[in-house]
Amino acid sequence: MIAIALPCGTVNAQAQTDIVGKELKSDVNRAAGIYYAMPVTKQKDTAVPGGKKPFYINHYSCPSSYYLTNPKDYEAPYAIFARADSLGKLTKLGHDVMHRLDLLRQEAKDRTGELTAKGARQSRELMRQLVERIPDAFVEKGYYTARSIVQNHCILTMEEAMTQLSAMRQPLQMSVRSSHQEQAFMNPQDKLLTDHRTDSLTMAHFNRFTDLNTSDARLMESLFNDQHYVIANIDTETLSRQLFRLAGNIQHTELAGKIKLWDIFTTEEIRHHWRKQNAWHYINYGGCTLNGGKQPFLQRSTLRNMIHMGDSMMNRYAPLMHNRYTHESVMLALASLMELDNCGVQTSNLDSLETAGWADYRIAPLGGSIVMIHYRSERNDPDVLVKVLFNGHEARLPVETDCAPYYHWQDVKNYYLRKLYRYENTRFNRKNRRR
Amino acid sequence: MNNNRILGFLFILHTSLFTLQSQTVIDLIREKPSYASCNYDIYPDSITKPLTPSPAGKRPFYISHYGRHGSRYISNRSGYDTPYLMMLHADSVDDLTPIGKRVLHEIQIIMADTENRWGELTSYGKEQQRKIARRMTKNFPEVLCPGARVKAISTVVPRCIESMGTAVMELLQAQPTLQVTMEASKRTMWYMNHQDNKLRRNYMTPEARKAYDAYIASRMGNSRLMAEIFKNPDIVKEIVDEEDFNYYLMKMGLFQANTHLWLNTYLQNLFETEELYRMWQVDNALWYIQHGACKLNGGRQPTSQRYLLRQLIADADSCLQLEKPGAQLRFGHETVLLPLVCLIGINGYDLATDNLDELEARGWWCSSIFPMACNVQFIFYRSSPKDKDVLLKVLLNEQEATLPIATDCAPYYHWADFRRYCMDKLSALNIF
Repeated sequence: MIAIALPCGTVNAQAQTDIVGKELKSDVNRAAGIYYAMPVTKQKDTAVPGGKKPFYINHYSCPSSYYLTNPKDYEAPYAIFARADSLGKLTKLGHDVMHRLDLLRQEAKDRTGELTAKGARQSRELMRQLVERIPDAFVEKGYYTARSIVQNHCILTMEEAMTQLSAMRQPLQMSVRSSHQEQAFMNPQDKLLTDHRTDSLTMAHFNRFTDLNTSDARLMESLFNDQHYVIANIDTETLSRQLFRLAGNIQHTELAGKIKLWDIFTTEEIRHHWRKQNAWHYINYGGCTLNGGKQPFLQRSTLRNMIHMGDSMMNRYAPLMHNRYTHESVMLALASLMELDNCGVQTSNLDSLETAGWADYRIAPLGGSIVMIHYRSERNDPDVLVKVLFNGHEARLPVETDCAPYYHWQDVKNYYLRKLYRYENTRFNRKNRRR
Repeated sequence: MNNNRILGFLFILHTSLFTLQSQTVIDLIREKPSYASCNYDIYPDSITKPLTPSPAGKRPFYISHYGRHGSRYISNRSGYDTPYLMMLHADSVDDLTPIGKRVLHEIQIIMADTENRWGELTSYGKEQQRKIARRMTKNFPEVLCPGARVKAISTVVPRCIESMGTAVMELLQAQPTLQVTMEASKRTMWYMNHQDNKLRRNYMTPEARKAYDAYIASRMGNSRLMAEIFKNPDIVKEIVDEEDFNYYLMKMGLFQANTHLWLNTYLQNLFETEELYRMWQVDNALWYIQHGACKLNGGRQPTSQRYLLRQLIADADSCLQLEKPGAQLRFGHETVLLPLVCLIGINGYDLATDNLDELEARGWWCSSIFPMACNVQFIFYRSSPKDKDVLLKVLLNEQEATLPIATDCAPYYHWADFRRYCMDKLSALNIF
């Protein structure tokens, strides 16, 4: 069945490659996936029905642009080129690429994992845009908190954002903090779930998918002049992936616009690399049915906290905002769990992700966010409305509504709570556990 | 809240070799027990001594700052675990008095409160940073004027990053049009947090060890406390090290001044002022050997901050060329600030002696240098960008400080003199 499904999926995907293809064509940096630096663009805002006002903003955000965390990401590919160079195995393009890799590693030296200057600007711009889009939520009596996981690029993303807010509103009641104490609903762990992520069946599918989407020979021939040397000395798949990752990372640095690495790949190769990485993210954080389709539930305490807060804030008189800065992986799973736009897709067919619209650069790019905004007409308003800004745009929720993109809070809350409870019933029900 | 917490603390007169000391260390500890905890002391926010007006015709135009993060939770659990485990062991052999049981209970509260927060900035720590930043804008509005540039740098340690962010946000509350950049990078660690391993390995020379051991011999134990907490102090000595127990329990008690448990002074009150004072003496001597110009180990420990001093001078050289340099704020650690102060010789802290008994009498009191949020600010003055005679003054914890060079306009010093003094000192070190 799998053998049949795969080719069909490929044909199907090719017939409709369209959207992802177009998006990659218009900005190839999207191929970086979760390392795509989301641009701050003008967004549409639908008028709030019934003159309701925002009173609570629950904001979950990825860090802004940062250098890759592992120094090896920069050093390892350069070392391969340097060695080949010392043996005269590089082509002219190979030499040129080595020079570019050298610039990249020098730029990132002693900065790995750190927020880039561009990331700092992005974080401030995003906060400025949020304040300008929802001015009613930023008033003198409001209260604004920010929390970050203990990870320097997340902490600095938070500090930059709150610095922007501080420059825009005086006086400002705020509380900014980074602590291991809030790990439980910022970056929860669930070993039982994650143990099932990459079981043998899933890996068999993924490895096959990887094989079908791998063709590094042309690239190697363009970089190295001796293919015997390549075969004997270079793990081409890894090198190719490392180069691809660096290509996608240049956009975050001051080298953007000065050098690039996308040009060494063909459009098709870029597409292949992205597909593999997207499928991997889907397996780990999306509703991939190969491993049971439950991985998004890793973020159930995050979602539950979101619901809990939504209810708790109803009693407040003045607006409040919670900003939370956490890993991209948290955002991938959270968006999938919340079924925002097309993120809830459940399939075992990794080829169908593009047509289904599950694309990592749309879900959790750097600077990406899920912002749930709560509206009411007065403090006792029984019909609170919510709207979710998903990476800036008004998102579709998996709930019926008569006023999209606004949704009735009670409906949203019931839908998500039932979803969480259904899952927890399978996990924690005594009878189920015995089976 | 924090006005209350400091209510009752008299302001602390500066501890300089050159000023008359009206208070002794034991007086200070009596008024503010946390003074005995040295680097765990809270920032002396009650100081309100006015600053000398700007020198005639000149205006402040540049601030160069190095500050420690604000109050934090203790960095790791080993310090707390020491008395905690000893108490648990004593409890399991039923050797705790009723007071001992209460002490164990208090320790458990503190352990639970600190869990998952080791080393993190506390809310009081943020308040310290906010107040310092706010005072900076009030004291030097000419520097932090609309549109002025502020470059903030922090070490890569989260509590320092958070201190930086807190300070910057407060600056922006006071002056929203400041052009602020923030950076926390491994790239600046070579001067922001340089720990000289060679110096550090070698600070306890045999001479220093001998002098230190002799100095602390009569000061470490606390049999009174043992008798209060344990039913059979003599038997319990088999499982409880009296000196460690006394030292770490005291630290634990005093540390809470930094957290939201500051109102609970039960542990702190177990100790008499005299005992706190003795422990301060022990720590003060150790800090002096580690970071002061102590003759017992060659007096070179303060040179660990030679890179920072060079960078401060290089930054100033560069900023003096600008019309409006603004401010450079740096957020780091006390183990940097203390040797820096000793290296420059601010307030006579370059004191060089081989006699540990002299430290107290000659005013080398570490607690006055490096409480939480401690800071050194170099404020530069000139009449115009063309003015060649740039003056500076140094604020140690926001109090005007002295430098070991001649001046005709104290508390101001001629930048050229200070620069030459520092460069001479650095080149005489004969190391890079």
